[in-house]
Amino acid sequence: MSTVVSPIREPLIEGGKTYHDITEDIAAPTERTPSVAWVLAFMVAVSGLALYVFCLGWTIWNGIGTWNLNRTIGWGWDITNFVWWIGIGHAGTLISAILLLFRQKWRTGVNRAAEAMTIFAVMCAGQFPLIHMGRIWLAFFIFPYPNTRGPLWVNFNSPLLWDVFAISTYFTVSLLFWYTGLVPDLATLRDRSKGLRRKLYDFFSFGWTGSAKHWQRWESLSLVLAGLATPLVLSVHTIVSFDFATSVIPGWHTTIFPPYFVAGAIFSGFAMVQTLMVLTRKVLNLQEYITLSHIESMNKVILVTGSIVGVAYLTELFIAWYSGYIYEQFAFYNRVFGPYYWAYIGMMSCNVLSPQIFWFKKIRRSIFWTFVMSIFVNIGMWFERFVIIATTLARDYLPSSWSYYSPTWVEIGLFVGTLGLFFTLYLIFVRVAPVIAIAEVKAILKSAGDQFTGAKAQQHEGAQQQAH
Amino acid sequence: MKNDKKEVLYGLYDDEEQLMTAVKKAKSDHLEIMDVYSPFPIHGLDPVMGLSESRLHIAGFVYGAIGALFGFGFMTWVFTRDWPIIFGGKPYWSVLSFIPITFELTVLFASVGMVVTFYTICGMWPGAKNPTLDNRLTDDKFCIAFQTNGASTQEVDQLRSFFSATGASEVNEKEL
Amino acid sequence: MNQFTFESKQKTVLLSFMGLGLLCLLLTFFTDSQPMHMRFWTNLLHNTVFFTGIAFIILFFLAANITAWAGWYTLFKRVWESMASFMIPGLALFLVIIAGMWLGWHELYHWMDADTVANDPVLAGKSSFLNKNWYTFGTLIIVGVWIFFAWKLRQLSLEEDKMGGPQFSQHHRMRIWAAAFLPLAGFSSAALIWQWVMSVDAHWYSTLFAWYSAASWFVAAGAFTILLLIWLKSKGYYSEVTKEHLHDVGKYVFAFSVFWTYLWFSQYMLIWYANNGEETVYFQTRHQQYPVLFYGNLILNFVMPFLILMRNDTKRKNGTLIFASLIVFFGHWIDYFLMIKPGALHTAHELAAAHGAEAAHGAEHAAEAVHHASNFAAGFTIPGLLEIGTMLGFAALFIYVVLNKLTQAPLVPANDPYLGESEHHQVWYEFGEDEEVAHH
Repeated sequence: MSTVVSPIREPLIEGGKTYHDITEDIAAPTERTPSVAWVLAFMVAVSGLALYVFCLGWTIWNGIGTWNLNRTIGWGWDITNFVWWIGIGHAGTLISAILLLFRQKWRTGVNRAAEAMTIFAVMCAGQFPLIHMGRIWLAFFIFPYPNTRGPLWVNFNSPLLWDVFAISTYFTVSLLFWYTGLVPDLATLRDRSKGLRRKLYDFFSFGWTGSAKHWQRWESLSLVLAGLATPLVLSVHTIVSFDFATSVIPGWHTTIFPPYFVAGAIFSGFAMVQTLMVLTRKVLNLQEYITLSHIESMNKVILVTGSIVGVAYLTELFIAWYSGYIYEQFAFYNRVFGPYYWAYIGMMSCNVLSPQIFWFKKIRRSIFWTFVMSIFVNIGMWFERFVIIATTLARDYLPSSWSYYSPTWVEIGLFVGTLGLFFTLYLIFVRVAPVIAIAEVKAILKSAGDQFTGAKAQQHEGAQQQAH
Repeated sequence: MKNDKKEVLYGLYDDEEQLMTAVKKAKSDHLEIMDVYSPFPIHGLDPVMGLSESRLHIAGFVYGAIGALFGFGFMTWVFTRDWPIIFGGKPYWSVLSFIPITFELTVLFASVGMVVTFYTICGMWPGAKNPTLDNRLTDDKFCIAFQTNGASTQEVDQLRSFFSATGASEVNEKEL
Repeated sequence: MNQFTFESKQKTVLLSFMGLGLLCLLLTFFTDSQPMHMRFWTNLLHNTVFFTGIAFIILFFLAANITAWAGWYTLFKRVWESMASFMIPGLALFLVIIAGMWLGWHELYHWMDADTVANDPVLAGKSSFLNKNWYTFGTLIIVGVWIFFAWKLRQLSLEEDKMGGPQFSQHHRMRIWAAAFLPLAGFSSAALIWQWVMSVDAHWYSTLFAWYSAASWFVAAGAFTILLLIWLKSKGYYSEVTKEHLHDVGKYVFAFSVFWTYLWFSQYMLIWYANNGEETVYFQTRHQQYPVLFYGNLILNFVMPFLILMRNDTKRKNGTLIFASLIVFFGHWIDYFLMIKPGALHTAHELAAAHGAEAAHGAEHAAEAVHHASNFAAGFTIPGLLEIGTMLGFAALFIYVVLNKLTQAPLVPANDPYLGESEHHQVWYEFGEDEEVAHH
C-alpha cells in the first residue's frame, strides 16, 4: 500500500497531521464564531454588494444610457468586466480537472476554494451580458424556446449564442463537480454537529455514508467529470474569444485568440486564487494545508501562463506586421501608440514583464510578493480585455466615427459592486463549508504528509524507501 | 425494508492499511462482507473486495451521445426545415458553426446525466436519511461491516475473532 | 538488460530502408515534372521539418516534465534524450536546403524569387523577415541553441548516472536548464515554423499556425515513443516499463490529438467564418483541390485516435496502441504534407507562369498553370509511392540515429530522484486481474 515518493518532493501537509487532526483543522472555521477579521471583511463586502444592487437598479431603471458607451464604442467596461470575471472563473475547474488528470497532488489543498471561486466568478460574469442587453426583463429571449414569433429561433450561428450555451453549461457542470466533491465533506460536518446544524448538514449531505461502492462511483464520477470539464474549460474561453475573433475587425480577428484567451484565463484565474488563498490560509489558520509549496506551484503556473500570453502578444504584433494588411497593422500601431496607450502599458507590464520575477525561487515563496503579484496580474488581465475591446473599437475603419470612451460612475460602481458580490459569496462559503477538500487531503496524507515524506520524514519511512 | 432491519456487526480500524489487510483476510476466510466504510477513497480496495468496475462512465458516454445528437439534430432541423435563414452568406446547414453548441450540449448532458445517475443508484438525494454506523466513519475510522441476521452464535464468534485477529480497535453491533 | 545492443541485422534493415529512401529521392529528382525539381525539394523539406520537429518537441516535452516535477517517465527518459539527438542530422538536412537556396538549386519559397518580390507589394513588405539571411541564420542559430540544450540535459543526465548522490545536484541543475529552455523554445520555435512552413504560402498568415504545427509534432512524437517502447520491450529491454507507463503516453497521444483538433477547428472555423480573402484562399485551395487529404487529415488525426484511445483498456494493450500510433504518426506526416505541398505547387505554377511570360509565352503558360491547378499533380495531390518511400527512408534514418544514441548509455538511468516513483508507477487498477497483485 505504501506509496513510493521521490525524496525531493516537498510535503504538502505539514505539522505531522493525523486523519483526525485534518478533520478538526478544516472543519473548525465552520464551527466557531467568526473572527473579527471575517466580520470586518464581510461588512466591506456587503457594502460592495449594496453598491452593486444600487447601480444595477439605476441601470435597469434608467437604461444603459447612463453608461458612457457611444455609437463607435458599443462594448466598454461591461464586456471587459464580463470577460475578466469569466477568465477568473477558469482556475477552479482547471485546478480540479486538469490537475486531477495530471495527478498533481497539490491541487487538493486549493481545489475546493478555487471551485467555489469559479462559481462565484461566473455568477458575477453572467450579469454583464444580461444587463448589457438593455431590457433585462426580456433576457429569456436568448434561449431557443418555441415562441409566438413564428416560431423564430435564436441564431445558432452566432458566437454570442454559443456563449449562452457555453457559460450556462460551464456554470452547471462546475456547480455539480464542486458539490459532488463537497458531499462527503458535508457528511463529515454532519457527523460532528448537533441540533439545527445537524439537520441542515443532514439535508445537504444527501445521506452520504462512505460505503466502498459509493466511493468507487464517486471517484469514477470525479474522473469522468474532470475529463469532461477539461475540454469544457478550454471551450468556454475559446467561445468567449470567438465573440471577437469571428468578426472582421482588425485586432479582433486573429486565429490565435482561442488558445491565447484560454492561457490568459488560466493566468488570471490563478492570480485570483492566489489573492484568496494568501488571505484564507492566514485568516483561517490553514498554513499547514496550503503550504508554501502550494503557493510556489501556483506561482509557477502564473509564470508559465504569463509567458504563454506574452508569446501570444508578440505573435499578434509580429503577424500584424507580417500580414501586410494595412488595417491589421494600424490596429496594432493604435494599440501601442494610440489614445489608450496607457492601457497597453498596463497590460504588458502587469502580465508579461512583472511575472518574470517569479523566476526567482525566493520571490515565488514569498507571501508578500505573491500577494502583490496576484493583484498586479488581476489588474493586468483587466487591462488586457480593455485593450482588446475599447482600444480596437475606438479606431474603426471610418476615421469620421473615431471616438474615445471613459466610464461613468454607474459603470465603475457596477464593477466594484461585483467585487462586493464575489467576496460576500466567498466569505459566506468559508463559514458554511470546508474550504479544503477534507477527504481528498486525507487520501494524500500518506504520500504527501510531512511525517511520511520530505526532510522531516520519520526514520522508518525513510528506511522503507531505501528498500525499494 | 423498515420492518426487517439489518443486524450489523462491525469493526473499526484506525488505518486504511490495516483495513486492506483485514479485507484480504476476510476474502481468504470466505467471510461475506456487507460493506466497507471509510472517510476517503482507498486505492486498490475495490479489486480486493471483489467489487466490479463502476459502469458510470458508460452511462456518461450514452448521455453525451444523446446530447450531441439532440443538439446537432435540433439545430439542423431549425435551420434546414423549420425556418431556414441565411446568416452572413453561409449555407443553411453550417456544420462548423453548430459544433460549439453541439459540444456544450454533449458535456452538459453527460455531466448532468451522470450526476443524477450517481445520486440515484447510491440512494442519495437532498435530505436522504441513510443510517450510518458511526459518526467517526467520516473522520478517522475505517470500518468493515458484516450482516448477522439469522447468524448462529458460532458464526458471530468467528466474526469477532476475525476482528480481533486483524487488529480492529472496536467491535460493535447495530441495527440499521 | 540495461544496455541496448544495436544488432547488425537491425542496422542492415534500417540502412536498406535508408537506401530505399535515397533511391526514391533520386527518382523523384530525375522524374520531377515540376519546374526547379519542386517535388524533390518539397519532399526533402517536408520530411526534414517533420522529423526535426519531432526531435525538438520531445526535448521541449522532456524539459516541461523536468520543470513540472513529473516522475512517471524517468525509467525511459533515455528514449526521449535519444530522440532529441536527431536535431543534429536534422540541422544537416536543413543545410542542404539552405545550400540549395543560396546556390539557386530550387525555388521552394515564393519569396526567394527576387523578381516576384520586387513586383509584389505584400512579399516586398515581408522581405525583411522572409529572406535568405534570416532563413539561414535563424535556422542555424536557433536549432544550434536547441541542440546545445539537448546536449546539456543529456550530459547532466549521464553525469547523474555516474556521480549522482543523495543531494541530487545534477537534477537541480537540470531543472534550471530545462526551465530556461521552455520560454526560449516557445519563442524560437514559432519563428522557425513561420520560416520553414508557413512561408511556403508566402502571402498567407495565421497567428495560430506555430502552435498548431507544434501540436502536430507532439502527437507524432508521442506515437513514436509508444512504438519504440513496445518494440524495445519485445526485444527484452525495459522490462520495468509496464503498461502503466504506456497508458500515460497513450493518454498524451489521445489528449493532444484532441488538442490538435481543437487548434485545427479554431484556425479553420475562424477563417471560414470571417471569410477574409487573403486568409480563406489557404483553406479554399486545400478544400477544393486536396479533398482527400483535407478530410483524411481529420479522420486520421482526430476520429481514429479519438475512437480508439477513448477507453482505458485500449491505452494498455499493445495491439490497439500500435495501431493508433501508426495511424497518428502517418496522419501527422500527412498533415505536414498538406501544409507544405499545395503552397509549393502554387509557387511552382506562379514561377512557371512568370518565367514563361519572360519568354513571351505568358498567356499559354498561365493558362496551363491554371489547368494544372485543377488537376491531379503527382506527389502533390496525394502522396505517391515515391513520397512514401522517402518517408520510410527518413523514418529509418530517424530510428537509426535514436537507436545508435540509445547504445551510448544505460537504458534505465541511475540516481534520478524520481526513479522510485517511475518504477512503482500505477495509474489504473484492472478489475479481475489485480487479484494476483493483491496477494503480493
